[in-house]
Amino acid sequence: MMNLNCRILSPGSLAEVLQLLADQNSSTKILAGGTDVVTGIKQGSKRFINTDLLVDINRIPEIKNIKKDKNKITIGAGVTFSDLCASEIISNDLPILKKAASTIGSMQIRNRATIAGNFVNNAPCADTVPALLVYNAVLEIESLTSKKEISLQEFLSGPYKTQLKPGEIVTKIIIPVPDDNYRGDFYKLGRRRAVAISRLTLAVLVRHENNTIKDIRISSGAITPIGTRFQNLEKFASRKNFDENLCRELSQKIGEEVLAATGLRWSSAYKLPVIQQMLFQLLMNLR
Amino acid sequence: MMEIKFTLNKREVVIQTEPGIRVLDLLRESFNLTGTKEGCGIGECGACTILLNGLAVNSCLVLAAQINGCDVLTIEGIAEGNELHPLQKNFLLHGAVQCGFCSPGMVLSSYALLEKIPNPTDEEIKDAIAGNLCRCTGYKQIIDAVKETAKELKMIK
Ligand SMILES: Cc1cc2nc3c(=O)[nH]c(=O)nc-3n(C[C@@H](O)[C@@H](O)[C@H](O)COP(=O)(O)OP(=O)(O)OC[C@H]3O[C@@H](n4cnc5c(N)ncnc54)[C@H](O)[C@@H]3O)c2cc1C
Ligand code: FES
Ligand code: FES
Repeated sequence: MMNLNCRILSPGSLAEVLQLLADQNSSTKILAGGTDVVTGIKQGSKRFINTDLLVDINRIPEIKNIKKDKNKITIGAGVTFSDLCASEIISNDLPILKKAASTIGSMQIRNRATIAGNFVNNAPCADTVPALLVYNAVLEIESLTSKKEISLQEFLSGPYKTQLKPGEIVTKIIIPVPDDNYRGDFYKLGRRRAVAISRLTLAVLVRHENNTIKDIRISSGAITPIGTRFQNLEKFASRKNFDENLCRELSQKIGEEVLAATGLRWSSAYKLPVIQQMLFQLLMNLR
Repeated sequence: MMEIKFTLNKREVVIQTEPGIRVLDLLRESFNLTGTKEGCGIGECGACTILLNGLAVNSCLVLAAQINGCDVLTIEGIAEGNELHPLQKNFLLHGAVQCGFCSPGMVLSSYALLEKIPNPTDEEIKDAIAGNLCRCTGYKQIIDAVKETAKELKMIK
């Protein structure tokens, strides 16, 4: 029998969670879907060693909604991937996020795992990260004494590392709705279709008028140490003609960017041509 | 130790438990419900699948304290007395049970699917059971059994 040997509290409101987190010491952890926490503790991961209090946030209604007002979508931090996949708002306005969520784990995992847990854990292969990055997602973070907003890009500081401080909880993800002229796509390469850790992911969102690129956002996960936007590529492509030649140049350049970000790794030999071809195809389909 | 109350296979139960044990262990050891199996213990195989408030979840990733007040259904809870559930009958009829280790989880994932989508496509069936690994059957028999059950349940309604 496996026993995590710690206290577990399941408060019913955000106010109580904030109070518990404020009273905490460093061995208190938030527990959402538990798909990283429980496996992490079981596998003896250093990040969860000495946890003596888990604050279960599954019973707080404040972080469970998906809302749209005017040009902004707000997703509660405790929304599960199954909730995301079932939401019409997400299907209509944030299809890249829906596609990313629907590729995660299995039905059982998607029924438990939450969106905030995914990027707070910040594994290189966290699949929502590239999607949220191209949507310019902003997080709302609360503690007993403060409330602030920070962009996801800034929040993610390194593999399995974020800017989250003791006492804080992510409450919301806020996304400006891209207008109808944007089109985008998400691609994931895993070893097999389900329950597969991503080897490579790529998200692209682009708006072009009369074939000229007005705005393009490109991000990747798994292949880079953390999910990241490719700002050099985005600048390079801006205002250029969206033709086959540009798609080819961009896919050439993403190879160089990934090499620069990772240094040469044994797996690069096969990954580089794959990511180049993936980006080329995604871009060509979006023209 | 803490006291938790929940609905287990349609009956109210109360039990003293360590809060940080897995629901998988609670079911097997405190309730002697050994139909719920442990394969991998890390969310990958689906042998430990139960329905929590109607949703298929891996009981190896849920802690005892978390099911306080919830509704839990295990493989032991889907037959009506001595009458097997149509899914169980069809799994047997279609050769979808070989060693049987995956079967409880596989049946429960299919059960959750049919509750939500009474008439699923092949793709929807595959998606619902993608988190349940089977080393024996090759899955075709399982998909056939689920389709047949969907037909029968529709006729009953
Ligand atoms: C079998 C399996 C397959 C998987 N497949 C995929 C996959 O294909 N793609 C993928 O991206 N991921 C995959 N995952 C990982 C994915 O399930 C997790 O990253 C999940 O999204 C984490 O959410 P959770 O609610 O389970 O978080 P938990 O495990 O509860 O928590 C994770 C971390 O986030 C913290 N946390 C949670 N919520 C908050 C909050 N609101 N504010 C602050 N901190 C918080 C916790 O303290 C913890 O440090 C898989 C996992 C398993 C077990
Ligand atoms: S034992 Fe729970 S998923 Fe394998
Ligand atoms: S019947 Fe043996 S694992 Fe499925």
